[in-house]
Amino acid sequence: MLQRFLDPAVLHGISSLDLVAKTVVDGFVAGLHRSPDFGFSLEFAEYRAYTPGDDLRHVDWNLFARTERCYLKRYRGDTNTQLTILLDASNSMKYASGAVNKMDYARYMAASLCYLAIHNQHDPAGLIVFDDEVRNYIRPSTRPGQLYRLLAGLEQAEPAARTDFGKPLKHFQEFLRRRGIVLVISDFYEQPEAIVRAIEPLRFHGSEVVLFHVLDPKEIYPDLRGPAILVDLETEQRLEVIPDYVKTQYRAKMDRHLEQIRDRTQAAGMGYHLLTTDKPLDLALTEYLTLRRSGHTSGLGGA
Amino acid sequence: MGFLAPWFLAGMLAVGLPVFVHLLLKQTSVPRPVSSLMFFEQGTQSSTRHRRLRYLLLFALRVLLVLLLALAFARPFFRHKNVLASDKLLLVAVDDSYSMNAKADGATPGTRLDEAKRGALEAIAHKAPRQKAQVISLGGQMSLLTQPVDDAGALRAAVEGIEPGDGHGNFGELGRGMRAMAETVRTPMELDLFSDMQSSNMPGNFADMVLPGNVALVLHRVGQAAVPNWTVESVQAPGQLVDTKKARVIAVIAGHGTPAATRTVSLVVNGAAIATKKVDVPADGRATVAFDGLDVPYGESRCAVKIDSADGFPNDDASNFAVKRADPERVLFVHQASDTRSPLYFGAALAAAAQASFVLQPITPEQASDIDPTKYAFVVLSDVPSVPSILENALLRNVENGGSVLVATGMADSHREHIPVYGGNVEDGHFYARGSAEDAGFATTGAADASHPAMRDAKGFEGTKFFYAAAVDPGKARVAARLADGTPLLVDKQVGEGHVLLFASGFDNLSNDLPLNPAFVAFVDQTAKYLSGEERVSGARVVDSFVQLRNPVNEQSGNAAKGATVDIIGPDGKRPLSLKEAAAAESFQLAHAGFYQIQFANGRDALIAVNPDRRESDLQAIPDDVLKLWSGSAGTGATETAATESAADATNNASSLWWWVMLLLLMAVLAESGLASRYLGTQREQP
Repeated sequence: MLQRFLDPAVLHGISSLDLVAKTVVDGFVAGLHRSPDFGFSLEFAEYRAYTPGDDLRHVDWNLFARTERCYLKRYRGDTNTQLTILLDASNSMKYASGAVNKMDYARYMAASLCYLAIHNQHDPAGLIVFDDEVRNYIRPSTRPGQLYRLLAGLEQAEPAARTDFGKPLKHFQEFLRRRGIVLVISDFYEQPEAIVRAIEPLRFHGSEVVLFHVLDPKEIYPDLRGPAILVDLETEQRLEVIPDYVKTQYRAKMDRHLEQIRDRTQAAGMGYHLLTTDKPLDLALTEYLTLRRSGHTSGLGGA
Repeated sequence: MGFLAPWFLAGMLAVGLPVFVHLLLKQTSVPRPVSSLMFFEQGTQSSTRHRRLRYLLLFALRVLLVLLLALAFARPFFRHKNVLASDKLLLVAVDDSYSMNAKADGATPGTRLDEAKRGALEAIAHKAPRQKAQVISLGGQMSLLTQPVDDAGALRAAVEGIEPGDGHGNFGELGRGMRAMAETVRTPMELDLFSDMQSSNMPGNFADMVLPGNVALVLHRVGQAAVPNWTVESVQAPGQLVDTKKARVIAVIAGHGTPAATRTVSLVVNGAAIATKKVDVPADGRATVAFDGLDVPYGESRCAVKIDSADGFPNDDASNFAVKRADPERVLFVHQASDTRSPLYFGAALAAAAQASFVLQPITPEQASDIDPTKYAFVVLSDVPSVPSILENALLRNVENGGSVLVATGMADSHREHIPVYGGNVEDGHFYARGSAEDAGFATTGAADASHPAMRDAKGFEGTKFFYAAAVDPGKARVAARLADGTPLLVDKQVGEGHVLLFASGFDNLSNDLPLNPAFVAFVDQTAKYLSGEERVSGARVVDSFVQLRNPVNEQSGNAAKGATVDIIGPDGKRPLSLKEAAAAESFQLAHAGFYQIQFANGRDALIAVNPDRRESDLQAIPDDVLKLWSGSAGTGATETAATESAADATNNASSLWWWVMLLLLMAVLAESGLASRYLGTQREQP
């Protein structure tokens, strides 16, 4: 039943972003229980003899009662994976053909990911909101209240300026010194070469970089029945176009653009997912968990 | 073009509204936001042109809407004069009277009619293409050969179809016809008359020729040269004869504009000349020639008197007449045994008259029981108080089938009220001899109808003394003569197809002295011819005269002859009547010269000779001053006022354009609505 809350149109009716995140993640997790492919609970790994200095909380007292020997119980659990979300807050994210604009969709997705990371996975999660500058930076952390700081940061992230990947990403290098998972949420109205060139350095620290390309369905398949004046939301430039052009050349250009982004990001070892604002959010959560389970940062970790 | 309310044209200033909306007010289009114009390209040129074109069309429609609205309120009208050449009705009248058969001028081939038709065709060829014209033939009567049409082909065909006629032209008929036409046709008319302008065509009263004010008369005279012409003006011959040696044919030869000459006159019977005589005809005068004896075979014979005129009008050189040779017909004379005077006087008169065509058969009522009246020319009931019922019924049937009875009510009838066969009663008997001392002891005739066949030559019984007369109610019967005190003397009652002639006195020289009067012979002669039916069919007729085929059906006569057809064979050997007409026609117009073979509804056969009106033989033309007066009479005199009114109508003829403007307005509204809704529909699609 909770699956339906993954629909962005339904989430649009929920005003509180934390509630949105909780709804999405709970619904998503409940759905996972039915799937054998996605078990992620902590697994028992081995017993280790107690040595002075070990944390008594991990002593297996049941075993001690049976054998009068003191052993520590160790699990094969996930180590903490730092999640950093780069959220594009340019003006182009305001576009919407339906109830949910791209910015809202991105916010829902970011909030859900943060909730999943902090609340379920105990992973440190951080947020960078950018347009042509870095507007907000919340350092990844697992401290109490981190989730609410992230949600507050998302609430405050209003589209304001135009997108420029080159300029803010120079600062990303400074912020992301620890490897982890970097998720870039944007509509990527930029040349594919520039995008890849700006984001690719994030991988050099060993981080997994995934691009979530958020677009409105009408941006891919625009419906223009008559000549109209179009206004660029970022530059406010006006252009008069005719339907014939939109039906033919625009779609061809857009398809070529999407294809180039996908090819170049995958060639650069980055993940790429195209999301439209009418699709559920589970794709993003699944991608995050898949990356987390792929083991690139996994290891044995004691409590 | 004008306006009934021109001040409403100020409403055209409202045209500034669409001008302001379309041209002055800047067009605002709701721009559509997009994330990026990265993949869009400029399409301004084509879209703007398309939009501008559509907006200009809408603008033009709205301007037109305002202009038409103002125009509709201003009530426009179009003033036009209908005196254009194309509006004038051209009437082409061709005279096809008998005189048009005369040869045309020496230089012109054919007859006068051919020349007139050539002129008419030329007039049609020169008319305006859209001018309507109508072809009229003017023979014995005026005939409209076409409707007013502008089809020159139809008009030419009508003119070419005019055949030579045998009728007598009458310009008075033309004037009456044009005046009747002017009551329905208000437009100006031009009457082009192609005729030989024969003086005999003029009516007795010049006023009959005057044309209405909107008719302009253009005269085209054909055959202008005077043509000397000899003709057989009249022929006097018996229609029925018994003794061929006693028959006498008298012909009058006339010359019109001719010098003194000797003409050869021939008497032709059934195509063969049986007698020839020469006669000296004085210059421009007449001569009489008589043929004694007319040797014709039994039955009907087609006879003619011909001359060798060798003039320019050969058609009138013969005059036809029909003669029937038969044994004398019997006349049944029913009288009382005691009355011997009546058959004596009546028989003597009958023998003296009618060229001995009748033989009297006196008989008493008692002997007449088994008599078949159909074997007699007619029956006379002379002072018979009563007849056997068998005879009376037979007489009634005979009368209803076309027979005739002459009833004389003498003094013997004074005691009996019922008059046999007649169907009436004797109301009283006037014994004038028993009158007071102041009275003369007799009565004379007071009024006589000379048009009645029996009274035609009787001179009204002038000088006849009537001592007794029965008072009879004539009812609806025709009274041919009355006594001075008003008592009907001669009453003609139609019964079925036949006639009952009632003489309210006797033939016995006692009740009156008519048998001793010379008028008695003429009376008996005419009465015998009338009652026997010979009068109806004998002699020659004139073209366009009528012959009565059957008596009119009325409530008294019944329908005895209803359904009985007549049979007519014309001079051309054809039957001019259809079967329907033959079963119902009461009269027939003898339209052509020649011999008509007619079988009447009562079964009698007759051969009727028809001759053209001899006035047509006088080819003298109407003087030019008279013609000028006639052609100038159109639009003058008494009709001047009408002409002025007609002209005023022509100048004030205005057609309202309001309906046309409203129609255009409606179309503009519909077009504007359709176009504007398309624009609005496009804007709704935009978010």
